[in-house]
Amino acid sequence: MSGLTTPEAVAELRHELRTPLNLIIGYCEMLLEDATDQQQRIALEQTLTAGRDVLERINATVPPTRGEISEADFAALRDALREPQGRILTNTSALLAADGGAIDPQFERDVRRIRSSAERLLTVELPHARSGSHPAITIEHPIHGAAAAPPVQPAHILVVDDQEDNRSVLERRLRRQGHTVESATGGRSALELLGAQQFDLVLLDVMMPDLDGLAVLERMKADSATRDIPVIMISALDDVASVVRCIERGAEDHLPKPFDPVLLRARISACLEKKRLRDVELEYLREVGRVIQAAIQVEAGSYENGVLAQVAQRGDELGRLARVFDAMANQVRAREDRLKEQVAALRREIGEARQTSKPAAPRGKLSLPTGELFAGRFEVLDEIGSGGMGMVYRALDRELGDQVAIKTLRPELLQDTSLVERFKSEIRLARTISSKHVVRTHDIGERDGVYYLTMEYVEGITVRELLDTRGRLGTAPTLAIASQLAQSLVAAHEQGVIHRDIKPQNLLLDAGGVLKVMDFGVARLAGGTANLTEVGMLVGTPSYMAPEQMMGESFDHRIDLYATGVVLYECLVGKLPFEANSAVALIARVLRDAPPAPALHDPEIPQAFSDLVVRLLAKDPAQRPANAAELVRLLSDLS
Amino acid sequence: MPKILLVEDNEMNRDMLSRRLARKGYEVALAMDGLQGVTMASSGGYDLILMDMSLPELDGWEATRRVREAEAGAGRRVPIIALTAHAMSGDREKAMAAGCDDYDTKPVELDRLLGKIESLLGKQA
Repeated sequence: MSGLTTPEAVAELRHELRTPLNLIIGYCEMLLEDATDQQQRIALEQTLTAGRDVLERINATVPPTRGEISEADFAALRDALREPQGRILTNTSALLAADGGAIDPQFERDVRRIRSSAERLLTVELPHARSGSHPAITIEHPIHGAAAAPPVQPAHILVVDDQEDNRSVLERRLRRQGHTVESATGGRSALELLGAQQFDLVLLDVMMPDLDGLAVLERMKADSATRDIPVIMISALDDVASVVRCIERGAEDHLPKPFDPVLLRARISACLEKKRLRDVELEYLREVGRVIQAAIQVEAGSYENGVLAQVAQRGDELGRLARVFDAMANQVRAREDRLKEQVAALRREIGEARQTSKPAAPRGKLSLPTGELFAGRFEVLDEIGSGGMGMVYRALDRELGDQVAIKTLRPELLQDTSLVERFKSEIRLARTISSKHVVRTHDIGERDGVYYLTMEYVEGITVRELLDTRGRLGTAPTLAIASQLAQSLVAAHEQGVIHRDIKPQNLLLDAGGVLKVMDFGVARLAGGTANLTEVGMLVGTPSYMAPEQMMGESFDHRIDLYATGVVLYECLVGKLPFEANSAVALIARVLRDAPPAPALHDPEIPQAFSDLVVRLLAKDPAQRPANAAELVRLLSDLS
Repeated sequence: MPKILLVEDNEMNRDMLSRRLARKGYEVALAMDGLQGVTMASSGGYDLILMDMSLPELDGWEATRRVREAEAGAGRRVPIIALTAHAMSGDREKAMAAGCDDYDTKPVELDRLLGKIESLLGKQA
């Protein structure tokens, strides 16, 4: 018959209930023998009466002759025991509240035993058959559901309680729920166990003599090894305030005494599930962190194969991202390695060429004697370039200990003070650009009537040198240049700085293949005084100049996009989009002709890239990409 | 002073009952399980044994049988009172059959238990 137990189970139930009752009554009677305080006597007598009431109710529901008990009867018995149990708890609380004096330790211990025995009364479950000793029985418990159902997840649990009875009740229940259990009798031994074993959960009593629950909790939370282990505080109902303190300090939950088996199971399951989800989340975040770390390594050029191997094994989107990322990073590295080799080879070639043909001796005041101190601060090391605007030197900044580039400016470029002021403000603005693709300008100064700029020194070669040495560059290197150039323009345009003179001479490639754009803010100087007759002297040719700039019309940041188009055209095709014998003829062509598409020169050039370059060269700025950020996007679609 | 051997696995039960008996003038020795109870009983020197029936490993019924077997060889018989919280009808008979001289239930009614102890000790004397 469903819902009824066997005679053996009834006997066990009587045993489970009467054992704590034996303690309640026995300790009570013994304490009464000694009690002299009237209030103590009253509380003890009331406790004893309540204990006997409990006995009566047990005997009424489960008499010694009874061979079975239904679920409903058992539930009714539990309900019937609540009231006298409440009386015992209330009276023992009163006995433990030391009213105006210290409690005798033996007395206190005995009263606590009465209390814990009373608490145990309501944790008794309807016994089940034990394998081997009784025929198997299945009981659908009305409150507990399938009380012996396997746990959500078996866990390794530490029970910390100084009361032996509480410990053993908890241990028994937890083991029955499929968990493995260790127990500690106090705070110190709990911390020792936590140091020696990995636990999934800790059940921690609040009140303990050597080191209380709060102190244990605080130490656990301060230690990274134990910080993430969830803690459920065990407390009597009259100890709510200290439970609140524990939860404020990081305890997950609390479990009131007496332990209700249903509540115990539910809280532990919830806690373990929460921990499981948190562990999953933490692991996910750790792996996201690995991908981010890998991205940083790619940027720094230190990405190692296999660092994402673990993440790549995941079956989810993150795993997929890691696999794609790893493949891309390896491609990028291979490309960078090739580029580095090319750059190194080119540097050697250029160095040799320079050795054999030193430029013609210059230029009066513009030249700085090498080996001497300039402006009281810069030790001039060597000349590294010369151009329409002046000379460029490599120098050691003795104040900062860094190498810098010093560019001297021809005096006629800065003839009047208003020009100087405008130039200075342009340089100040350019200094606000923050990008690894922009050569940083440090300062502007004047020495013996010669203005000079100091800027970041970059060891590398210009794209001009690259083109002159190698001819056209092919699609992949051009794309790499395009993307970095576009990023530098994004940063500059954001600050309201238009370069005005993007050309291969101003694009430096360092040893790592990183492109850096020079002379932001400087071209204003050239542009401000340039006219067509001086073009050849100042900025080479107007080949990189947008139509609107040539015509002296108003223009905006999109002239830099046009110039970028010319540079990319040159890199891909190996020559300029428009060539002519004179400046006037060139201007006519720039204003009138459509450039031949790069793909016509070389079918290997992807059509989309060719189209983009042609679009950058549009006569009407509105036909070009709207801004550098859009160019970055369009380029990333190509790669 | 009569000496009682209390065989009881529950620490609190041991503590409570031994202290109550001591207050009544008995000397109490403690065994924590059936096996220890049998060993201590075989050494002699006890006037009476209080045997809890629900013990781990070796339960009270079996422990009692073994004590009786050992005594059969030694020619003495210490009175044994069975204690049980099961307190089912038929338990008394079962206890007697296992070799107990009397039987009492938990919760212990001390006066009733003392009556039984004194009665058995008196008989013995």
